[in-house]
Amino acid sequence: MNLKEEIIKVISETLDVKEGEVKENEKLYDSVGVDSTEMVEVVVTLNKHFGIKLETNEVTKSSTIAEIADLVEKKKE
Amino acid sequence: MNERIAISGIGVVSPCGLKKETFWANLKRGISFIDPVTRFDASLYPSRIAGQVHDLDHYTHLSGRLIKKIDVFSHMALVASEQALQDSAIDLDNVDKTRIGVFMGNALGGWLFAETELRDMYIEGKQGISPFMASAWFAAAPQGQTTIYYGFKGYSKTIVADKASSALALWYAAKIVAQDKNDFVLAGGMEAPITPYALLCANTNGNLSKNNLNPKEAYRPYDLYRDGFVLGEGSGIVMLEKESQAGKRGVAVYGFLKGIGFSSDGYHYSRYRPDSSCLEYAIEECLKDAAWNKKDVDYICLDGEATAMGDYLETQALKNVFGSAIGNISLSAPKSMFGNLLGAQTALDLIVTVLSMKNNTVLPTINYLMEDPYCDLDYTFNKALTREIKKALIIARGRGGINVVLAVEKE
Repeated sequence: MNLKEEIIKVISETLDVKEGEVKENEKLYDSVGVDSTEMVEVVVTLNKHFGIKLETNEVTKSSTIAEIADLVEKKKE
Repeated sequence: MNERIAISGIGVVSPCGLKKETFWANLKRGISFIDPVTRFDASLYPSRIAGQVHDLDHYTHLSGRLIKKIDVFSHMALVASEQALQDSAIDLDNVDKTRIGVFMGNALGGWLFAETELRDMYIEGKQGISPFMASAWFAAAPQGQTTIYYGFKGYSKTIVADKASSALALWYAAKIVAQDKNDFVLAGGMEAPITPYALLCANTNGNLSKNNLNPKEAYRPYDLYRDGFVLGEGSGIVMLEKESQAGKRGVAVYGFLKGIGFSSDGYHYSRYRPDSSCLEYAIEECLKDAAWNKKDVDYICLDGEATAMGDYLETQALKNVFGSAIGNISLSAPKSMFGNLLGAQTALDLIVTVLSMKNNTVLPTINYLMEDPYCDLDYTFNKALTREIKKALIIARGRGGINVVLAVEKE
């Protein structure tokens, strides 16, 4: 599983949506219609899963999976 | 009220059924739906029996994504609201949603969600708590979730007044419809007190039955061997609209809200005034508001607190208000079968009353064994009665004497 697939898995499990609904190149708001409270949960879960420290203003409703993957990559280094 | 307010749909989530059909069929059997609490280890609680809702997940229309954001009391309210909307045959695509409101009653809030999240916060720190905690636990959450779920934008409110919460919510809703502020109102209440903390709080008021060994026989209003009421969980929601509008839509209505009377004991923060004068006043006001004679009333759905004081005061009030006419009125407390749902109780009582009207049946007060010399009226003990009910009263009493009486008529 590459990083993008892993992120999609984490996000879809957090939101309780099907993995196919979270699209790699679409903004999260456009693909699954997340709200800001759900985004807090997404960021916290990503932080726990990857052992990193993303801020809630770094990953937002208008982030795509590709953008999130870049950020996670950077933070992991 | 100038125009009668029609009840055009009902939805019910209760310990004895999650649909109006099962709810009624089970109540007619006159058996108890009180069981030991199984949701968590309640073995050290003085009262550890309750009417519990089972299999909510099988009846739900909500997505897992939504369910994990809300407390079970919102969940129950959404399921009951969906039933009431379908039952009322409202076409949601072709109505003005700014004219649909939601009026709910609740006493305790959503503790199952709150307790779990607070525990996680204390263990894990701020990363441990769900961001939905803020919007899940408070008493108005079900009202908010319902309006968001359906996109209703009309005037809405939640009322917190202990066991009279949904009685006041129903009255408020009816008034708003009568004043033409909304075309439709979903009104009722919901309560989920079977959680470690909420059950503990409810235990401290000292009014719960401790007959843990015989849960089915524990809730016995007006019986000499009573020792308090038993908690229940669930939700009751009705659709209210003007009689003229229901007529125009051509829907079958269950009955009409005709009047209300209310008063406050103004005596103590948790105890009733030791005489029944304030409750009597509320009953008199309700009869006046409905423009009924005392002899017109066929049925009274009682509060049935199953405490010596509560039962005595209620009996005394009925005797003083109705005099000899009380002999021709059927009385009962059907909640003895499924428990007292606190903030949702009057909504359930209203549903019980309109279904009783529809089926020409007076549901029984169960578990009667020995007469209490202070409660010597006929409370329709143990067995249902066939009787046509045209006009009925519903009595609700909150702690410290929040007295609300509703008048309901069939035609």
